[in-house]
Amino acid sequence: MIGKARFLLAETGQNIWRNIALTLASILVAAVSLTLFGTSQLVARGVENATQRWEGGIEFVVFMKADAEQSQLDAIEALLEESRGEEINDWDFVSKEETFNEFIEFFAGDEELLDTISVETMPPSFRIQPTDPDAGAVAALGGTFESKPGVRTVVFATEVIREIQTNAEKISQVMLWVGVLLLVASAIVILTTLSIAISSRRNEIEIMKLVGASNWFIRIPFMIEGLLQGVIGALLALPFLAFARQYVIEDFSESDRLRLLEGFRVTDSEFLFISLTAIAIGTAVATVGSILAVSRYLDV
Amino acid sequence: MIRLENVTKEYNPTSPALIDASAEIEKGEFVFLVGASGSGKSTFIRLLNREEKPTSGKVYVAGKDIVGLSSWKVPFLRRNIGCIFQDFRLLPKRTVAENVAFALEVIGRPKHVIDQQVPAILDLVGLSEKSHRMPDELSGGEQQRVSIARAFVNRPLILLADEPTGNLDPDTAVGIMRLLDRINRTGTTVVMATHDRGIVDTMRRRVIELKDGEIVRDQSGGQYR
Repeated sequence: MIGKARFLLAETGQNIWRNIALTLASILVAAVSLTLFGTSQLVARGVENATQRWEGGIEFVVFMKADAEQSQLDAIEALLEESRGEEINDWDFVSKEETFNEFIEFFAGDEELLDTISVETMPPSFRIQPTDPDAGAVAALGGTFESKPGVRTVVFATEVIREIQTNAEKISQVMLWVGVLLLVASAIVILTTLSIAISSRRNEIEIMKLVGASNWFIRIPFMIEGLLQGVIGALLALPFLAFARQYVIEDFSESDRLRLLEGFRVTDSEFLFISLTAIAIGTAVATVGSILAVSRYLDV
Repeated sequence: MIRLENVTKEYNPTSPALIDASAEIEKGEFVFLVGASGSGKSTFIRLLNREEKPTSGKVYVAGKDIVGLSSWKVPFLRRNIGCIFQDFRLLPKRTVAENVAFALEVIGRPKHVIDQQVPAILDLVGLSEKSHRMPDELSGGEQQRVSIARAFVNRPLILLADEPTGNLDPDTAVGIMRLLDRINRTGTTVVMATHDRGIVDTMRRRVIELKDGEIVRDQSGGQYR
């Protein structure tokens, strides 16, 4: 058994070495395609996280002071309820606890920051969906809350946010599609690399068949070779994704001019999920390429 | 050991390679297949290790119908059949010993078995001294001996030889035939396609003659004619 495994691995190693340039090309195409795919997902998550509170027609948020009294909250609530069906279509109350939980989720892993906060320091808020989304009307309506007791600030979903939302979505979509196209290219390159590896070894394969090597014994070195190209490509994509997360997306959220995009970041668990998805897709594409190559070019 | 029943093989319908051939070869026999080029000798041989399937008819090897054999079982059939060819088919980048060992490695034999069997078989074919040479450093006769060692190292029941002396001078060919005769005496069935009149007439074994795909003669102790 060990002898068998050693022989198969030696065969695989030889195959890769003889075909090193194409193998590298194959790995790079897989890495680039998975990087694009992963980045598109990172951007999508980032936009989603940054604009979460602006979804579903919510045009402004009334943030209360962290130490606002219950009576002050009740007063705002009463005011909102009064206008429901008129200026206000719907509204939602976000408690201190909910805010705290969102915060923890966002900044998971940032222990230093998390140490400085508690449920008590979180501002409760009202997310408001006006009937009329016109900017002027929204500004006038929101303005009426600014002077109410207990209110810290009112934040509007301005045109800027909407624009960034759509643009980011477009960028993410384009990257996704280019990534998908490159994934197809990657499968084809793996297929071609294997077909060349197979044809350069046709003498060995012929002898193997003749002396009764089992079909799997002949196929396995080529399948491992193809699989490795996808998996190494995916692993290579991971540092690029980490780079994309760190320097592109998070710098975005720290720039002053885009204060409104505070929270444009990707959580650790989201990053882990995207990375695992990239590895899974890389493996799947390589598997498809390998199976196609082996069944097309290796008629055992 | 081998039985063909009314076997026809057509690569294209107008000129069949083998027509309604029937023959039975017993365990331990030595059989020459003779006939002109294109008479169906190679097809006959290729049907025996399932490189080809007949268009109609049955082929039995070691009591088993091999026509209906599912493809994953074919390798196990071939482990019982050694093959040698006119062009040797050695792997040029492996030494003599490695070429022989390859046949055992790819069917998953453990290393200690390989280490023991390869020198033994190289001794049998008379190449112990040259086990670390590369194929291109050997004469044609020596290369054919390596290919016989590779075919026989797994002790198959049957040895198929397609024109094994076709590329060799007469003296060297005699040496190869002595080796095949020795292998035959161990109980291995040998089926050899050949053009070589001298060899057939000297050995006086069973002769199956093919002409245009048909068996026209099946004679024990026969001559080439």
